[in-house]
Amino acid sequence: MFGEFVKLALKSMAYNKLRTLLSLLGIIIGVASVIIIVNVGESASQSIQEQIAATGLETISIFSRTQERSVTREFNFELAERLAYEVPGILTVIPMNQINTVTRWQRNSYRGTILGVSEDFAWANDYSSVVGSFFTDADSMQLRQVAVLGNSVARELFPQGSAVGEYIRIFREGQAKSYRVVGVMERKSASFNLQYNQSIYIPFTTFSNRLVNTDVVQSYVVRTEPGVDVLAVSDNIEEYLTRLVGSGNYSVFSPSNIAELAADVTDTLSAAMASIAAISLLVGGIGIMNIMLVSVAERTKEIGIRKAIGASPRRIMVQFLIEAMTLTLVGGIIGIGLGIIVSNLAVSFFNWTFYPLVRIYFLAAGFSMTVGVFFGLYPAVKASKLDPIEALNYE
Amino acid sequence: MAGPVIELTEVSRYYYMGEFVIKALDNVNVRIGTGEYTAIMGPSGSGKSTMMHLVGCLDTPTAGTIYIDAEDTSALNEEDLAYLRNAKIGFVFQQFNLLAKMNALENVMTPLMYAGYPMRRRKEIAENALEQVGLGDRMKHRPNELSGGQKQRIAIARALVNDPSIILADEPTGALDSVTGEQIMDLFEKINSQGKTVIMVTHDPEVSGRCKRVINLRDGHIAEDR
Repeated sequence: MFGEFVKLALKSMAYNKLRTLLSLLGIIIGVASVIIIVNVGESASQSIQEQIAATGLETISIFSRTQERSVTREFNFELAERLAYEVPGILTVIPMNQINTVTRWQRNSYRGTILGVSEDFAWANDYSSVVGSFFTDADSMQLRQVAVLGNSVARELFPQGSAVGEYIRIFREGQAKSYRVVGVMERKSASFNLQYNQSIYIPFTTFSNRLVNTDVVQSYVVRTEPGVDVLAVSDNIEEYLTRLVGSGNYSVFSPSNIAELAADVTDTLSAAMASIAAISLLVGGIGIMNIMLVSVAERTKEIGIRKAIGASPRRIMVQFLIEAMTLTLVGGIIGIGLGIIVSNLAVSFFNWTFYPLVRIYFLAAGFSMTVGVFFGLYPAVKASKLDPIEALNYE
Repeated sequence: MAGPVIELTEVSRYYYMGEFVIKALDNVNVRIGTGEYTAIMGPSGSGKSTMMHLVGCLDTPTAGTIYIDAEDTSALNEEDLAYLRNAKIGFVFQQFNLLAKMNALENVMTPLMYAGYPMRRRKEIAENALEQVGLGDRMKHRPNELSGGQKQRIAIARALVNDPSIILADEPTGALDSVTGEQIMDLFEKINSQGKTVIMVTHDPEVSGRCKRVINLRDGHIAEDR
């Protein structure tokens, strides 16, 4: 009987296509907007997470926030070792200084960042070389004038290739210093504070003693031990630094931290927007109620005939409920299709990867059927209560 | 003749229109036996339609009791009445009252659906019923593609399909020309000869002339029963 009523419902929908479409419009738009919001929200959230993950979820960055000598003198090379020793869960701490300057090789020049880092920098950031290698602890200890080029830097300075072994000149306060290129790094997408491809890496010791001459460390990159709670380590670092220099004089960023925050924000936003869109589904339900009332009125005679040949009130009610459910399910399916198409277009417009939330499709289909039952109930009950004789005599 | 298949004891049906009471049927007693072929006659307003609706369990009396197959229908609720109509009564109407969007076969299958038969069985029984009324070659046609006589045959097949004991026909030839009407009457006679109780509401003397018993109603009373 169920299948027959579904067939019957589809038949009468096909019979009056335009009217069906118009009365389903509310449901279609409602379902489509829920799908669009959820899919676009999910894709946005995932692409933010991807960008954050590129930073390395197991790293924490520390910055000094003041030029005050009482603070900056605490941000020194030794602090790296002390942190690694005193805060549990840390694999290594890399001191990092940077300047912006011009570098030349023959007639090619490049303006960009020179980063002074310790030799652990490459593995701590899961960053490998494509030609040659990153500099070593021997290079650091002996203050060697060696450089490793970010991928874009190598292309700019050495368009013909083969940078390793060549000498580049780094300009600083009108003086040029020669650095031997020992490696070229792979491409790596930028994190929130590092443009990997656009940087030149030299040993931290060389940077602080030969290029700039400073005992201050601008920032540190902390690599945590695998499996530890990065947020807890981050909290412990903050605690340690607060004791050392007071809160407000430093910043600690961990990508996990940011990722969590971003996920919270996008989830809350899309949940809020999806609920608003769900309200439009209820409005769509009123359209269903309207069309079902019209249908019951138009088919009074049919109801009378069915009652005469043995349809009980309950079966008449079931027939019209199934019809309302079929109607809203069809609307739901059209809405889901429309939602998928539009969200796909929107996501590709923003250049994100499309992350559809498939369980929402089933939820939307189920919810539209529920809307059908809810708003179809009154018309169905009305149909079931029609007096058979009056219904039969209805013209 | 076996016991009565239909028994009306002191049945009244009143309609209340504000201060007025219309006594459509007033204290009527009728017994109709199994296999009888009865016409209910009378001018319009005499109560014959009301009587048919009551016998067909589409309506309930204001007073009195109606027994169908010795079952007291006043004890039944709407659901049970629908079941009883489905199982024991077959309706044939003047205006055929077929479902317009369905073809002949689907129309005849509908009472079987309400009776709970599985799909395949429904089809078999309905096809057989259509063969019986001579429409074996019109099963996939919709009502609007068929003549009045053919439509009435579908309606008769639909009425017969659940093998009811009672066939209630309301002016079944009223919308047909005389030749087709004759053929339909022949069909009813055949059905009656197979043991079904046939009750025909009509004001056409030619129709009632072919019935074995005629009940004449006037102003809600039985004026004549012969």
